[in-house]
Amino acid sequence: MKALREAAEKLLREKRVSLVIGYEDRKGRPAFFAAKPEDCGRLAYDASCRQNLAAYLGKPEIRARLPVAVVAPPAVLRSIVVLTAESQLPPGQVLALAVDGDSFLGTFDAAGVAELLRAKYSTLAPEPALLERVQGLLQKSPAERAAFWEAEFSKCTRCYACRAACPGCYCSRCIVEKNAPQWISTAALGHGNYTWSVMRAFHQSGRCTLCGACEAACPQGLPLMLLNAVLDREALEEFGSRPGYDPEAKPLIGSWSADDDHSYMR
Amino acid sequence: MMKTETSTAPAPAAFEPRITAFVCNWCTYAGADLAGTSRLQYASNMRIIKLPCTGRIDPLFVLKAFENGADAVLVSGCHPGDCHYTSGNYHARRRWTLFRKLLALTGIGDDRLFFSWVSAAEGQKFADLVNDVTAKVRKAGPFCAVHPGRRAS
Ligand code: SF4
Ligand code: SF4
Ligand code: FES
Repeated sequence: MKALREAAEKLLREKRVSLVIGYEDRKGRPAFFAAKPEDCGRLAYDASCRQNLAAYLGKPEIRARLPVAVVAPPAVLRSIVVLTAESQLPPGQVLALAVDGDSFLGTFDAAGVAELLRAKYSTLAPEPALLERVQGLLQKSPAERAAFWEAEFSKCTRCYACRAACPGCYCSRCIVEKNAPQWISTAALGHGNYTWSVMRAFHQSGRCTLCGACEAACPQGLPLMLLNAVLDREALEEFGSRPGYDPEAKPLIGSWSADDDHSYMR
Repeated sequence: MMKTETSTAPAPAAFEPRITAFVCNWCTYAGADLAGTSRLQYASNMRIIKLPCTGRIDPLFVLKAFENGADAVLVSGCHPGDCHYTSGNYHARRRWTLFRKLLALTGIGDDRLFFSWVSAAEGQKFADLVNDVTAKVRKAGPFCAVHPGRRAS
């Protein structure tokens, strides 16, 4: 904790960044924006921090204050690489204060982040418990799966906290807000809720780092990670896609290969 | 005198699946056209929606079809290498590979979501495909009434 605070303070004092985005040292570990060196004493990090702070990097308010530094556990480091690969981060304008568990790993630029991930986290995999839940659901009958999601989606209030929490959801105009024609009903009812969550997850395929921030942000407790995980698994198995490692990676959807599997095509 | 018994209860209406097909203009639609001009007989359960290319078929279209009453959806276009726009079908294929797994998790599986390559010369393949898909959906039955993706009537 001390090392993290000192590193953040140093960046601000030396004016290498104008803002440090971190977690605050209080209950729930909310996001905290340190603009002055003396603010840095309020930074903290531990395993209870579930927000993905890379989501702020797409917001205009933060854009106006570049360069910035972000406190980043491994999944957030991967989000930074995804955003780099998608040309969303102006080069040299974002530094990562890498953390893991209780330890502070150092300050890294975009190239350093990719290097650190390759060296130390190349084997990051989804939690086995999550994959088991996906598998368990797939073993049920289609009607049971439908009933499961019917019960879950009926709780959705369409607050879009899941979208706001995700670093990958940076479109200035989301598909759900397009209304001529309106593709997704915005009423917080069955089919609109279903289409919203399915499309939100699909738009993250090949880009999601399974950080868990969307599910953690959902006030209604929807199991959104099931949707993300099934896509992540398929992207890995079919296309060897591991988003968030290669800053030069082409987007999975948006590129193609003549050898892609199509055994299911008739 | 013999008493003849006549049943007054109407026979239960057989389930006629409604299948929405999203097809590209250059291959599958032309293939369907050929099936027609060749006077091939095939099931009349498919409603065809023509788009320029499979690359134009957004997964949202599929959800919209299920939302509004389809029992199954078919997506069909040019064979790999034959796309009129060179690579629309390659782009589409990646999308479908992922999307079908996502839909399967929510209860829309292989018996309701079909993909095929049908060229402009394959009128017979198109007719056979429609018959086969219709038979499979007939077997699968009506799209589950409690599915969250269906618009409440
Ligand atoms: S955060 Fe949860 S309740 Fe809010 S829109 Fe997303 S899924 Fe629905
Ligand atoms: S969709 Fe993936 S990257 Fe986005 S918040 Fe959810 S888990 Fe994180
Ligand atoms: S034109 Fe037929 S798939 Fe592209």
